[in-house]
Amino acid sequence: MKKIYIVLIGIVAVIGLAIVWGIGVRNKLVGLDEQSAEKWSQVESAYQRRSDLIGNLVKTVQGAADFEKGTFTEVTNARANAGSVKLNPDELTEENIAAYQAAQDRLGSALNRAITVTVENYPQLTATQNFKDLQTQLEGTENRINVARQNFNEAVRHYNTAIRRFPNSIVANMSGFDKKGYFKSAEGAENAPEVEFNF
Amino acid sequence: MLARCRAAMAACVVAVLCAASPTVAHAALPSPSNRLVNDYAGVLNKREAQRLEQRLVAFDDSTSNQILVIITPSLDGYEIMDYAQKIGDAWGVGQSDLKNGVVIVVKVRNETSGEVAIAPGYGLEGALPDVACRHIIDEVMIPRLAENEYYDGIVEALDVIEPLARGEYSFQDDQRRERREILIGTLVCAVLFIAVAIFLILYKNKKQPPKGDNLVWDDDDDAPMHGSRRSWWGTGAAGMGGMPRGGGFGGGSFGGGGFGGFGGGSFGGGGAHGKF
Repeated sequence: MKKIYIVLIGIVAVIGLAIVWGIGVRNKLVGLDEQSAEKWSQVESAYQRRSDLIGNLVKTVQGAADFEKGTFTEVTNARANAGSVKLNPDELTEENIAAYQAAQDRLGSALNRAITVTVENYPQLTATQNFKDLQTQLEGTENRINVARQNFNEAVRHYNTAIRRFPNSIVANMSGFDKKGYFKSAEGAENAPEVEFNF
Repeated sequence: MLARCRAAMAACVVAVLCAASPTVAHAALPSPSNRLVNDYAGVLNKREAQRLEQRLVAFDDSTSNQILVIITPSLDGYEIMDYAQKIGDAWGVGQSDLKNGVVIVVKVRNETSGEVAIAPGYGLEGALPDVACRHIIDEVMIPRLAENEYYDGIVEALDVIEPLARGEYSFQDDQRRERREILIGTLVCAVLFIAVAIFLILYKNKKQPPKGDNLVWDDDDDAPMHGSRRSWWGTGAAGMGGMPRGGGFGGGSFGGGGFGGFGGGSFGGGGAHGKF
């Protein structure tokens, strides 16, 4: 009789401890999840900043007397396309991030090409203060994108490590914490994406 | 330490990604120093470095904005903006809540061309937008730096940067000042409380003996005991009176002493750079 009680109390205690531990782990994972969501919002705002600057760039270049409309068609299309790929913090899977990154990278390279063309075709424009300022802002934006992406990858790495490590993985599986994706560095993307202006 | 962290980090990312990304070999960044002026290239003379340091420490003390100046012979394989941002983050330039740090990096002209970057922390991106940094670099710094006038170039840049930063975060925003004030307030309250407590106890002691002569602590020689107690109380009061004037609360930490340390600010990659 007495022994049964002791065993029962023991079992209850173990279950109780397990629950307390589980709650602790879960709270920690929620914190890491929030952190990567916050870093994600920084990534988005950095890309948004670039998108906004493209509007200014187009306006500035359009002011040139012999402006050809075709110059920025590719950029505006890529911009519209990139703008349509939006991700919520809870859908940061590997495929989604890859798609997001692909759209943004397309915009980035279209932008680079457009600027190269502009510099070649409208040298008088590139000497203006307006254009120089825009170029500085675009460079700064690329830097910010880079930093935001690095910070996001870092946060995701913490999160992914935490949910995959045993025994946290049990709690993670039970409460539906999924692995998140990373930004992959393209060739040469270790360095800040180069928007080269030589004139 | 940092290098090991970076290496481990890189290894982890690569392992998780299972993607062979070209890892650029970077040397370790300089480890955090306890100075705001770090001339690794040795282009400033002692007096210049000292005056610059004093100026920046005073600016930190009065506005909480921290401006870090790094003069280096090499960027260790980093892009200069990357270098400035990473150092700003790693050293924690600026206050952690205001994120009001600025990193100025000058890579001196040697076998390779000179480079200069101004990187504001998150909190100063509004006061020092990229374009403003670019103008400071192009119009103020580079003309000087190109003549090897490193000190003048930096001082003149600070003449522009400081008012802009002060406009964003000044005296009132300095949380440390607030904390100091709270600390002093607490100390004063504690001293007052203790003083009142002592006063009350002694007052009671003074009053009680005549009432009950047979109290335990006061059994034998009544008179000498009394005398000694009163004199003790007397010195205590004198000590208290001296306190506020004496400036006993670690006055050293207020005054224009050395640099108090980096506050944990963070950097998002803003700013501008140039070559000379």
